[in-house]
Amino acid sequence: MSGRLLPRRRPAPGPRSFTRRAGRLRTAALGTVLAVVLVPVLAACGGDASSANGNSTLKWASTYFPTHWDPVVGGSGAQFRELALVYASLTRIDENGEAVPDLAESWEYNDKGDEITFHLREGLTFSDGEPVNAKAVKAAVERAQDQEDSALHGDLTSIESVEAKGLDAVVHLTQTDYQIPQLLGERVLQIASPKAAGDPEKLDQNPVGAGPFIVTQLVPGTKAVLKKNPDYWDADNIHIDNVELTSAPDTSTIVSGLQTGVYNFADVDPSQAESAKKAGLDVFTQPGFNASNISLNVNKAPFDNEKVVDAVRYAINRQEFVDKLTFGYGEVTDQPFPRDYVAYDPESEDKYPYAPDKSKKLLAEAGYGDGDIKLDLVISAEDPQAEIVQSQLAKVGITVNIKIDKNWSTPFFAKDLTFSLYSTTGRDSAVQTLTAHFGPDGPLNLSSPYEPDGFEDAVAKVRQTPLDDPDYAETLQAATRAGLESDALIFTYSSPNLFAKSKSISDLPKNPAHINWTGVTISGNG
Amino acid sequence: MVRRILGLTTGRIAVAILTVIALLAVLGPLFAPQDPLATSDHPLAGTSGSHWLGTDYLGRDVLSRLLDGSRVSVLGSLEVAVTALVVGAVPGILSVYLGRAFEWVTLRLVDTLVALPFLLFAVAVIALLGNGLTQAMLVTGVLVSPLFYRVSRAATLSVARSQYVEAAIISGASIGWIVRRHVWAKVLPPIAVAFAQTVGVGFVIVSSLTFLGIGVQPPEPTWGGLLASDLGYLGQKPWAPVAPALLIMATVWAGNLLADAIRDVSGEAGRALIDARRARPDRLDKTDPAPAGGTR
Repeated sequence: MSGRLLPRRRPAPGPRSFTRRAGRLRTAALGTVLAVVLVPVLAACGGDASSANGNSTLKWASTYFPTHWDPVVGGSGAQFRELALVYASLTRIDENGEAVPDLAESWEYNDKGDEITFHLREGLTFSDGEPVNAKAVKAAVERAQDQEDSALHGDLTSIESVEAKGLDAVVHLTQTDYQIPQLLGERVLQIASPKAAGDPEKLDQNPVGAGPFIVTQLVPGTKAVLKKNPDYWDADNIHIDNVELTSAPDTSTIVSGLQTGVYNFADVDPSQAESAKKAGLDVFTQPGFNASNISLNVNKAPFDNEKVVDAVRYAINRQEFVDKLTFGYGEVTDQPFPRDYVAYDPESEDKYPYAPDKSKKLLAEAGYGDGDIKLDLVISAEDPQAEIVQSQLAKVGITVNIKIDKNWSTPFFAKDLTFSLYSTTGRDSAVQTLTAHFGPDGPLNLSSPYEPDGFEDAVAKVRQTPLDDPDYAETLQAATRAGLESDALIFTYSSPNLFAKSKSISDLPKNPAHINWTGVTISGNG
Repeated sequence: MVRRILGLTTGRIAVAILTVIALLAVLGPLFAPQDPLATSDHPLAGTSGSHWLGTDYLGRDVLSRLLDGSRVSVLGSLEVAVTALVVGAVPGILSVYLGRAFEWVTLRLVDTLVALPFLLFAVAVIALLGNGLTQAMLVTGVLVSPLFYRVSRAATLSVARSQYVEAAIISGASIGWIVRRHVWAKVLPPIAVAFAQTVGVGFVIVSSLTFLGIGVQPPEPTWGGLLASDLGYLGQKPWAPVAPALLIMATVWAGNLLADAIRDVSGEAGRALIDARRARPDRLDKTDPAPAGGTR
């Protein structure tokens, strides 16, 4: 008779049963440990595996989560990378830093160089169904010039008007300016649907563009969920189906987030690079134009004295910024660009080397003794750069008091501060970078309306030089040289564009300062 | 009361820790072996003879910064506790004697203050008045004051209804005299418990605010600030947050321990407890009945 009617008799406890029980316990414990360890790992792998089913998801933790999703209000700062998920532009920047077609498939200048016509691609629509045409381009430019809270006023001074002729947008310029294709790329003219932009406040919450992705959910300041835009002009080369863009939490938690699969892509602080590498992540730098500076207001004492300005210049040890803040990933720079950029002027390099003794001497000549100069260094948030500046200037007898002002941008851009710090991610147009720093109305020129002698002429010459002209580089560097005569800025170092990603994400194109998702794939073996 | 607190082991531990912390606050900056603000060319260095706790991200001596930062941390928590005591206890006692209108207004104010999250409110005040620890601590003290209001009011109510106080009122004694003569002695022990507790709470608040970079201007060191900056470099110095975290933990624990000790020795029950412990420390007399549940 099969089956069991009587309870099985347990063997009497003895040494063998203890061994067996211990063995079972070990097996159970091992099983539990394996389950605890493997289940999350397999679950994480499962998430990636779904990419094979056409459901690949980019989970991006960004420290530059957009504060505004209206590109006109967002401005041309670092957040353009995230906004470029939604909005396309007339041009984009390729791996050589040159303007290439985006919404416009081609363009040409008139003979004088003061008019440029962009020819838009046929049959494109914004994600709300509105057509992408010259009218939309005109509306975008006019909104950027006229909207009260636009952060792009200063970037579009060369544009007089836009004429809409079907798919041809004719841009009339105030001067000869061959920088326009560089200028009207992703940083300055991300084009929103004119219908959606009719209500800018609504656009800020519900962005509508013609870019590679469409926003499906937006939690302001926290998270955005996007899906692929099937109508994007280059949709065939976008292999990511969904994007979850999250505002990055504390830097120290990003690596563990990447490790556990909460994110698969993030910008990381140099201090976290080693941990990210040890965690088996891909750590890489994107080329860029980052440059940090110390901003002085020469309209206010003591910087109205040139000797004091020079004393500060000689007191700055740039290498200390690189060593302590970039963990070997950055480099010193005394210009608003990194060293390998076309606008970097080799002739101006190391004009003010670190020389604290010379600095003290200049201060004495200016009539200032040890501790006579007391400065408030006003910054927006805690920043080790400020502490380095403070300690370096203390060595030459200048007392610096660091003041954190959460409302820093108001006095900084109103040029009310005497002494501050600024870090730029640069611009695609080198002229835009130069005028922003050294121009009389440049937003980063704390000493407006001051500008160095000869700068305006040098910049005008660059604008008049086509980018493929053999003299372009030399002309541009001459403008940089003229700008660097400014007493208002001391450049210190170039921080890296450092990212970490899961190995399941393929390498990104090396477009300088940009994050380009074209051709990037997310595999299922992550 | 001090003697009775020191009669308890927990009381002695709490007083010992808090004394060391107080000494650090007063003398810490003098003991700092190096300039706490001086940077060096050796950032994130490990422990060595010249840097007992290593260096931070700018090459500054961590031990010197811990010692120098103790003053801000301790004074901040005391500011919270003293403000809360003054703002809470006085109206708490007076609410029993100054009529129904005063009582109603103060009770509604206290209800309102309880509803406000004090950490968020402190951040908002700093945003409004500028980045300073004093204003943040004063505001936080006001927000913590309902604890003192309620404790002192409850204690006063229990005394106010006693026959000897009623007899004093009938005899024509003034409210001030009654408070000084009868109420104060009854209210003091629970207030002392609340004060010791609030020092611990204040310490957590100071540490939290300075952790967030609020209240102090860099490069001024604080324990919370050191903890926050260390967390950014866990890859290089994983043990770095241990020292500031331990100091914060020990101080808060000591504050709570002291509060417990004061509560244990307060009033008749407290005195009986101490007497009992002195008579038979941790020992059962043969004549005592066995505790319920048996012995193990």
